[in-house]
Amino acid sequence: MKKTVYLSFLVAVGIVFQILESFLSVVWIIPGFKIGFANVVGIFSLYVWGPKEMCIVTLLRIFLASLMQGTLFSVSFWLSLSGGIFSMAIMTLAYKTKKFSIYGVSIAGACFHNIGQVIAVCIIYQQFFMQLFLPFLLALSNVSGICIGYLSLQIIKRVKGRIQNVNLSI
Amino acid sequence: MTKADKILICLIMIASIVCLIPLFLSNSQKECVVVQVKNKEVLRLDLNENGTWTVDGTLGNVVIEIKDGKVRVTQENSPQHLCSKQGYVSNANVPIVCLPNETVVQIESDTSEDTVVQ
Repeated sequence: MKKTVYLSFLVAVGIVFQILESFLSVVWIIPGFKIGFANVVGIFSLYVWGPKEMCIVTLLRIFLASLMQGTLFSVSFWLSLSGGIFSMAIMTLAYKTKKFSIYGVSIAGACFHNIGQVIAVCIIYQQFFMQLFLPFLLALSNVSGICIGYLSLQIIKRVKGRIQNVNLSI
Repeated sequence: MTKADKILICLIMIASIVCLIPLFLSNSQKECVVVQVKNKEVLRLDLNENGTWTVDGTLGNVVIEIKDGKVRVTQENSPQHLCSKQGYVSNANVPIVCLPNETVVQIESDTSEDTVVQ
């Protein structure tokens, strides 16, 4: 199958994850905290194809999911967009250095997703109270990063060999 | 997991703990009292610092006293003395207004309940 088809499948899966997760929110633990299952798709495409494909998949996923939820260009859209851009940048860096395993890449992504969101909140609301949550969000991003890394690793292991031109360097 | 992963996890944990430290240090909320005369800010005081200050109102001096995180107007020259009758104020949403003197005394806090957005 062509790569485009795979990428669009991944975008679809990512949209489903993102919308489902907004229903099953665990916001009551700490405001703004999510496990971030949608990032499985991003990490998967990063490891199967590369950073460019991850950017395509993640940006399309953010755009289309907020379009479907009806929150396009609202605050939550900008929050997830800035978090997504930050996490994509740091995941690309971590992937390129080849020093980190999939866990490290995923933890770095989760961590910078939170940092990006806090920066966006500070810019949009012009208030700086979200910094109070940043330590807790960072500590929890370790947990969610390990979960997402493990999930992606399992998925990549099972898909290995079915997609052509896969260079698995985990 | 590689060694770099473990270093990364440790770094993030250390960073989150370091971010926590200023929270405990700045536990005594920084609140200040802003005194305005004719819409111009003439005085900005620390609410945790006791003392009395005097500003020039339209009808004479206005004496402001800060005590134990509360602020009041003690002496002023006006027909009904409404602002000195109001007594101590510690809420950021309640200003002391002395209209004859065109003086407003208001507490400004970083985290007043009005401004928390969820």
